[in-house]
Amino acid sequence: MTDDNCRECKEKKAARWREDFPVNWDSDNYITRREMVKYLALGSLTIAGANFLLAGVPRLLKASQMPKMKIGLTSSVAAGGSALFRYPTQDDPCILVRRPDGALVAYSSVCTHLSCAVIHDQKQDTLYCPCHNGYFTVAEGRPYAGPPTRPLPRILLEQQGDEIYAVGVEV
Amino acid sequence: MGARQSQGTTLFTALLVLIGIGVVVQLWLLSATVDALLRHEAGTPLHAALGSGALFLVNGALVLYVFNFDKKIKQR
Repeated sequence: MTDDNCRECKEKKAARWREDFPVNWDSDNYITRREMVKYLALGSLTIAGANFLLAGVPRLLKASQMPKMKIGLTSSVAAGGSALFRYPTQDDPCILVRRPDGALVAYSSVCTHLSCAVIHDQKQDTLYCPCHNGYFTVAEGRPYAGPPTRPLPRILLEQQGDEIYAVGVEV
Repeated sequence: MGARQSQGTTLFTALLVLIGIGVVVQLWLLSATVDALLRHEAGTPLHAALGSGALFLVNGALVLYVFNFDKKIKQR
């Protein structure tokens, strides 16, 4: 009986507390299925919007203009040879390669694996990273052996007579 | 609970699960987009965004269907 009385006392105290602070936690935290569907649909809209925003980022980066910079003379690079230059800033080392057929290609010489310097191997006609034996094709800058998985950023070139200009970077 | 109401509840739950799966796939597409951006891949984000948009349309259509279904049931 004493216990019951005590329980009643406690209930009365609790009831008084509830009167003072009439917050119904159960109903506050209750979400109906209809509300859940609404929240999910709103979440779906938000995620789709975020995805479209992120898809626009590469286009914004492309739109930013790169400077046109003279990087050398065609006559100074022999067929099958290479030359080093920096583009678009002095902190961005690049490599210019003249292929045996005379075509000019240029890439960032920073390895896409762990940022070592990529060099041109004339005998194998390949771009080679000596740090971890990474190999890139000269034609496309695509990795074909070793740890790198991403291609080298390509430097867009323009020829005016004997002069070679770098005009952009294609990532 | 009548048989019709029970069917409605089952349908509602099924649609809720479908929309939930759609949102999870959208989240996966978003993470793939961020991954592609960090790898400097230009093609993947656009395709992922189109896929995400299509999923949103499907989800939106399902939500509209649910609420129209609800209205019809209440009118009866």
